[in-house]
Amino acid sequence: MHLAEFLAEVQTLLNDATTAFGGASSADALEAARIEFLGAKGGRLKEFQKSLGKVEGADKPAAGKHFNEAKQQIEAAFAAAKERSSGGATTAKSKDAVQFDPTLPGKRQRLGRLHPISQTIDELKDIMGRLGFSVADGPEIEDDYHNFEALNIPRSHPARDPLDNFYLHTAGLTADSGVKTEPLLLRSQTSTVQIRVMETKPPPVRVISIGRVYRPDAPDATHYPMFHQIEGLLIDTKVTMADLKSTLRLFAQSYLGVDVHVRFRPSFFPFTEPSVEVDMQWGERWIEFGGAGMVDPNVLRAVGYDPEKVSGFAFGLGVERLCMRRHRVTDIREFYKNDVRFLEQF
Amino acid sequence: MLVSWNWLKEYVKIPVSHEELTSRLMFAGLNHESTATVGDDLCIDLEITSNRPDCLGHIGIAREAAVLLQLPLDIPQPKLPAGKGSVNELAKVTVECPDLCQRYTARVIRGVKIKPSPKWLADRLQTIGCAVINNVVDITNYVLMENGQPLHAFDLKHFAKQQIIVRRAKKNEQFAAIDHKTYTLDESMCVIADAEKAVALAGVMGGADSEVSGTTTDLLIESADFDQLTTRTTSRRLALRSPSSYRFERGVDPEGIDWASRRCCELILELAGGELAEGMIDVGSPIAKPPRIVLRLSQLPRILGIEVPPAEVLRILQALGCEAKSAAAEKIEVLAPTWRRDLTREIDLVEEVARVHGYDKIPEDVGVPMAPSHRSDADRVLAKTRQVLMAAGFDEAMTRSIVSEEWSAAFSPWTQVPPLVATTPMVKGEDRVRRSLIPSLLGAKRINESIANETCELFETARIYLPHPPRLPNEQWSLGMVSGRDFYQVKGTLENLLDALHIADKLQLAPTKQPLLEDTISAELRLADTLLGYIGKISARGLKQFGLRGETFVAEVDLRVLLASSQLVPHFSELSPFPAMTRDLNLIVDEAIRWADLAATVHASAGSQLERVTYLETYRDAKKDGADKKRLIFSMTLRSPDRTMTSDEADAARDRVVVACREKHQAVLLG
Repeated sequence: MHLAEFLAEVQTLLNDATTAFGGASSADALEAARIEFLGAKGGRLKEFQKSLGKVEGADKPAAGKHFNEAKQQIEAAFAAAKERSSGGATTAKSKDAVQFDPTLPGKRQRLGRLHPISQTIDELKDIMGRLGFSVADGPEIEDDYHNFEALNIPRSHPARDPLDNFYLHTAGLTADSGVKTEPLLLRSQTSTVQIRVMETKPPPVRVISIGRVYRPDAPDATHYPMFHQIEGLLIDTKVTMADLKSTLRLFAQSYLGVDVHVRFRPSFFPFTEPSVEVDMQWGERWIEFGGAGMVDPNVLRAVGYDPEKVSGFAFGLGVERLCMRRHRVTDIREFYKNDVRFLEQF
Repeated sequence: MLVSWNWLKEYVKIPVSHEELTSRLMFAGLNHESTATVGDDLCIDLEITSNRPDCLGHIGIAREAAVLLQLPLDIPQPKLPAGKGSVNELAKVTVECPDLCQRYTARVIRGVKIKPSPKWLADRLQTIGCAVINNVVDITNYVLMENGQPLHAFDLKHFAKQQIIVRRAKKNEQFAAIDHKTYTLDESMCVIADAEKAVALAGVMGGADSEVSGTTTDLLIESADFDQLTTRTTSRRLALRSPSSYRFERGVDPEGIDWASRRCCELILELAGGELAEGMIDVGSPIAKPPRIVLRLSQLPRILGIEVPPAEVLRILQALGCEAKSAAAEKIEVLAPTWRRDLTREIDLVEEVARVHGYDKIPEDVGVPMAPSHRSDADRVLAKTRQVLMAAGFDEAMTRSIVSEEWSAAFSPWTQVPPLVATTPMVKGEDRVRRSLIPSLLGAKRINESIANETCELFETARIYLPHPPRLPNEQWSLGMVSGRDFYQVKGTLENLLDALHIADKLQLAPTKQPLLEDTISAELRLADTLLGYIGKISARGLKQFGLRGETFVAEVDLRVLLASSQLVPHFSELSPFPAMTRDLNLIVDEAIRWADLAATVHASAGSQLERVTYLETYRDAKKDGADKKRLIFSMTLRSPDRTMTSDEADAARDRVVVACREKHQAVLLG
């Protein structure tokens, strides 16, 4: 027998065996294939081994080497096939293995989502809490004194314009009904809470107030007549603008999670002097963070504090703007539409 | 404020680029909006805060630039000829309302020639987008944009009897303005009139009749100070805004009135010819002297947190136009210039020094002392509420605090006092401050239905406003829910919430009648006899009113009641190490028997080893049990704290319950 002829037959045997093992879809089929190829009596491998003797003497070592290699490969193919069906030692279990589809979707509970504005507020509260600011609360419907007068906004100030505020009256209550009503309005800023806190508590004060504020802007992509503000206030004996800048930097760093810088640009607010706009670095750019300043001595005096003894800072930020930027919301009106597809994105 | 770059450079020799200057100005308080090229000039748009009317003219901006760049400021000093013929013989001014017009000055020029402005003047105005009309009108606009003082040139021949009367408008007085529209005025407004009619709306706009035209030869140049608030309300009420009204609203420089008048006349004589009348009509109170302010140098580090060298402080204040001199003991005495009426107090000077010296010098890394911060109970209750609602599959909504009259009236179980009404609607047709969250949430559900969102389970925690005239309203902190599932899902979520807040009191339900809810499937919720809220199914009529299709269940709860009875720090109680036993019961009762009553009997009769009663289901079989009967199936869990219970003990407990339920509710044990 020529070596080439022998090698061709080795290859055929190898191909047939691996095909049979690979195609065996049950333990029974695999066992049948095992007997056919690896059977101790009459197995094709065993039978073929006899042909080795017919190979010419000089070719015997090469033929033996190839035979052994093929034998090992056939045995490995069987082992692999057996491994594949392992755990399926019995017929019943292997049926499960076919029927059980772990890729089907899991059984889920419907979980609600928090409004993105709430999530932003929670985060801001959390950060300011760690910086030592407790949350203070105050009414959303205010009197003229707390919304304007105590905040150093005089009667002639444009901020009081009826067209820039939601002044309120009681339906059905006319001037001659005998009940004298002071003008009320929906607060136009959360600074009103500052006044209410300072009226009831001597310094030091270290609070934030968060909540809804109202200004009659026609709704568009960046304006809404109702929005949320967070406002911070710190009053103590030695509070400076350096403390303000450093606190806001800590705030920005905590919010963004990276080391950023803040900068001040002069601005004007009736209740702070000096007043500044605060920018923070967001990536390569400076973006507006909010307004801030040192509490105006008139405000301190209005609540009975002595501006010669204490000083303090205040800052205010728009929650919607921070939230829009963080979550890349492009239209502020989305927040108040309450489309559940929107809410479920957060 | 639109600024011409070439014009600005007439007053201060700016050695830096416009980019550099606008950046410097931005950090001194003048925000840079944009810069556009106009011909060979630049138009720079700067945002001016309302406290800085002095920067509403090129000279004001130039002054800021000069202070920042430490350069001299060169302001033209107008020179006028002596004039011929007394102005008082050519015109007479009466101010009838000095409260609306603090000062009124007038000069007269006769024999001018109206023609187009020379190129340099037209260029200046065109750069900043100001229409070019004719030499006289252009000059008044030029001077307005130069020092911020509005001026008006009248054609003198239009004043009947050369009489100028500054008075309040009459009610419903008609006025035809330069824009050729007619406006209806009222007594709150101030007009410039002759003996017969109004010729100008003071500080806002001139009249069509008296405007300077090609035939004009004799001019009256008005330079005045009109009341800020009056100008603003007039301008807003008539929706008529002008560069003049913008400046009067913010206040003009009292010293600038005369300067602008002289500057204007000087330019008219130069460019339009004519002859100036001698003197000036000047009606009004003398200019108030600025207050003397003392700046203690120690206040700078106290407020700013940095030291500023005294020489620098002095330089800044003087460059800004203050009369400033060092006084004894670290003090500087200051008289602010008339154009800076915002500088009246020491703190105002601190701000001036800070913004010019530079806020970038203030460090951003000082050690702010630590302080404890306390999380309020309300915050904790809010967090728990949100957790429970989210776990129950509700998304959080946020809706407007102001609703329509219809929505406001649709559901108001908390109060019968009419709602507060906003003078301006929040959005079209919505001006009622809400007294319940439910209508808003139903509106949100409708939006979701309209876009075919299958599931819409919403909650909101917000305030509702229950009026309390004459006091501030009661702002009730509330939880509102809207669900498309069923009554017991909503109720179960509230029960979960009570559990999460460790509220010991039992939730009680009592019948209620609400226009929006189905009478049978609704209830008033109470907690230890305090009103907690409302729950129910929206009636067919209610669904129709809100344009809803699917079955809808709602609840509204006063969160302050939950807060008051919550136990935010629960306490450990000893656990029995012995196993529990259960006994299931199946009782046939009349339909009218309520579970809560039966459960109370079970609790009362089972004995101290009863750990809990678990409702399983209600089953009806009219054939076997008879009509109007139902089976209540429930399970009792029994456990002893000190030993393993025996089967006999558990059976005895069950038997006691069966007897008690038979006696009290005529219940029959099945099987």
